[in-house]
Amino acid sequence: MSPDTLAALSIRGIAKRFGSIVAVAGISVDIKLGEICGLTGPNGSGKSTLFDCCTGLQKPSTGRVYAQGLDITGWDMHRIVREARVIRSFQKAVVFRALSVEENLVLCGQMIAFAGMASTFGVGPASRHRVRRLREQAGHLLELVGLSHMRHATAGQISFGQQKLLQFASMLMPEPRVILLDEPMAGVNPILIDRMMENINRANREQGITFVVVEHNLDAMKALCHRLLVLSRGELIADGAPDAVVRDPAVVEAYLAG
Amino acid sequence: MLTDAVVNGITAGSVYALVAVGMTIIFGVLRAINFAHGEFYMLGTFGAWWGIETLDLPYIVSIPLALIIVATIALAVGVLVMKRLIDQPFQIGIVATLGVSLVLQNAVILIFGGAYKMFDGGWIEPVEILGVSLSEQRILIVVAALAIFGLLELVVHRTRFGKTIRAVSQNIEACKVVGVNVPAVVIGTFVLGCTLAALSGVLTAPVTVSLYGGMGTSITVKTFAIIVMGGVGNVSGTLFAAWLLGLMESFVASYLGLQFRDAVAFTALIAVLTFLPGGLFSKRERF
Amino acid sequence: MATMQLHEVNTHGSHIYNNPRHGLRITGFVVLVVALAAAPLVAGEYQLHALIVSMTFLLPALGLNLILGYAGMLSFAQMAFFGIGAYSSALTAMRWGTPFWLNLIIGGLAAGVVAVPLGIPALRLRRYSFVMCTLGFAVIAQTVAKNLVSVTRGDLGLSQVPRPRIALWSGGFEVTGITSYYYLALTLAVLAVVAFLALVSSAAGRYMIAIREDETLAASVGTPTWHYRMIAFALSAVFAGVGGSFYVHYFTVISPTVFDPFYANTVLVIVLGGGVGTVGGVVLGSFLFVAASEALRIAPDLRMIAYGLLLIVIVFACPEGLLPLFMRKLDGLKGRTHVA
Ligand SMILES: Nc1ncnc2c1ncn2[C@@H]1O[C@H](COP(=O)(O)OP(=O)(O)O)[C@@H](O)[C@H]1O
Ligand SMILES: [Mg+2]
Repeated sequence: MSPDTLAALSIRGIAKRFGSIVAVAGISVDIKLGEICGLTGPNGSGKSTLFDCCTGLQKPSTGRVYAQGLDITGWDMHRIVREARVIRSFQKAVVFRALSVEENLVLCGQMIAFAGMASTFGVGPASRHRVRRLREQAGHLLELVGLSHMRHATAGQISFGQQKLLQFASMLMPEPRVILLDEPMAGVNPILIDRMMENINRANREQGITFVVVEHNLDAMKALCHRLLVLSRGELIADGAPDAVVRDPAVVEAYLAG
Repeated sequence: MLTDAVVNGITAGSVYALVAVGMTIIFGVLRAINFAHGEFYMLGTFGAWWGIETLDLPYIVSIPLALIIVATIALAVGVLVMKRLIDQPFQIGIVATLGVSLVLQNAVILIFGGAYKMFDGGWIEPVEILGVSLSEQRILIVVAALAIFGLLELVVHRTRFGKTIRAVSQNIEACKVVGVNVPAVVIGTFVLGCTLAALSGVLTAPVTVSLYGGMGTSITVKTFAIIVMGGVGNVSGTLFAAWLLGLMESFVASYLGLQFRDAVAFTALIAVLTFLPGGLFSKRERF
Repeated sequence: MATMQLHEVNTHGSHIYNNPRHGLRITGFVVLVVALAAAPLVAGEYQLHALIVSMTFLLPALGLNLILGYAGMLSFAQMAFFGIGAYSSALTAMRWGTPFWLNLIIGGLAAGVVAVPLGIPALRLRRYSFVMCTLGFAVIAQTVAKNLVSVTRGDLGLSQVPRPRIALWSGGFEVTGITSYYYLALTLAVLAVVAFLALVSSAAGRYMIAIREDETLAASVGTPTWHYRMIAFALSAVFAGVGGSFYVHYFTVISPTVFDPFYANTVLVIVLGGGVGTVGGVVLGSFLFVAASEALRIAPDLRMIAYGLLLIVIVFACPEGLLPLFMRKLDGLKGRTHVA
């Protein structure tokens, strides 16, 4: 079970137990560079926990995670973002509600613009210049996701769908190689869903970012993903082309039973 | 010296236990630390002292008088402040009860003056038990603590009020849904917890003899150390942790010096928080 | 998880960026400094003393504002750091006759250096445990000050601490008159406020706000949350330590009573009452709650009752503190509304 050093993420035998609950029951899978990979499965099947184990929020009970050959198992969250450029979104916590829309983006870009810790304390012209650059970059991204008109609004006061778009834009600021999206379209109205899919596609095409997207909407998944994974009770029960996977009897069974 | 240290430790521990168990049940229903808890201990002492000095009552009568006074004050605080803490972030609880403690403590200083008072009452005749000589009051404290803990176990597990307290501690949302009067439970628990603290103060006064307005502060912080060590909501754990703290303090006071006594609680607290975040008697992290 | 702020959605931190009232704020600051600089022309000796004391309290208050208002942690260790700064500064000055600027640095550094080993276990804790750990530290600091008699002279405390000597190294002159003290305090207060503003508007300040808002989310965008919480904690101690240093060279005496809850509560009232997470609020708070009560010579017990009532009213009625309340009234008068 050696890791695939070319894979964006190489997951090897990851399991996570909470007391007697087995949330993830030993999963091995490779996410190829440049692919948009869907991840679906009934509620409680371990999708979020798998993300947690890949991004350092939870330490896996067993197994290892590699990002392009780099063993990131057990690293702290911020280090995985900084050094492996694997970033994830959360289902619930979406944006920094007290900050303005623009400040949310600037904050997320600080990791690149102010790489050393000492530099974050600077207040001179050089720091101001860096922040100005981040603001420009933020303005550009806001235009792409269609939120330019809200750049000074407080993030907590815009609609939930808009917050999800802002969250998506924020995740592009730290120049990631892999983005793990946890239900980016749940609770979002259909127009914004289209916009979200368009954005994922564009980031994938133009910047070559690899995506893993957790989503229940199978139509959206078929349209968006190159490949679809299905989890049930912590186990990987299907992996393949979206059209084939949704017809797989085991998958239908899991959904009906789940 | 060794037996003295043990006896002192168990007595002091029983005093702490009575105060701490009140704080634990309040924390259970409200998820808020009562920073004014030591003030109710102090108020109990002052109530009895006032009864003895001003009304010329015997000690035995001044005990219920003090408890009634404190319960009334606790009721007022419960209605005005504690009820509003339901569902509030924890820092609100800290600041609000800190405010209550400042008001109570300084009101007492304002009314009775800041100087130390002498407590003249209680049963301080020494008696001999198993070759150890100790005052009747100390025996009373230990016996009272054991009796009250037994009684509390009964109340919490057998009575309707106790069952409601446990239900609210476990799931406040569900209790609201099924129509439990949560504010009333909170106020009732608060009054009960504060009255226990006051009882502890009244029983201890004859032993500690001197009293002053600021005496509650160190009680509050020690109480917190105890409930962390004992595990929150763990009634018997509270008793053992309190005895343990009493013994540790007593040994430190006898062998290292009295001045180090008040730092024991916090050293123990920091050690427990660092190495055993769930307390000495449970594995689960509760804070 | 997210360390909760006093108010669920606290929007003050964001004010420092793109603040629609930025101009108003700078004008207000300049006007205040000019007015304070002119105060000795009209104020009597006692009023000046009251102002000096409130500017001394401003420093630990700014420190508390940093960890509570920006990094979201409630700490009771502020006055312990103040005391550590005071003792270390006094002892150095008494033994080696060091000049004032060096004493300030020593006071600040001593507090900051002590904060680090305390922070290592304490910052792993959450909620009550952290609060209580800081409270316990204050108790232990007082016990040490009382019992390390050979160094601190115990309950007697240190007296005849040298007055501030303004010199590069040796020589120079000693500050003695109340007016000179006043200007020294004012200079220090202005420098502290400027340093604080610079800190919270830097990239590091933005990280701290992010941690206050949601620690996990902050980590997920690459914030080394533990480091910045530690930095906020240590810097808050430095602010307090510098304040303690000034305090001890002004009063020229120090005793373990400096660790009493009285002082810690005063600082809490300044920050919460003035407006947590704002700089103007803390400045307002220290003048309102310290200078006013000093000047009116309110007895300590009455003052504490007032503080207590104030804390209760603040948390339930206006958890954001007085300054944001005033600002809203001001905006209301102008018929202007703004987001956040
Ligand atoms: N922190 C936790 N503690 C205990 N159980 C957890 C925890 N996180 C998740 N679980 C459990 O693990 C299982 C998988 O949860 P999750 O990964 O959130 O599923 P999904 O995201 O697919 O809906 C669930 O049964 C859930 O209850
Ligand atoms: Mg999930």
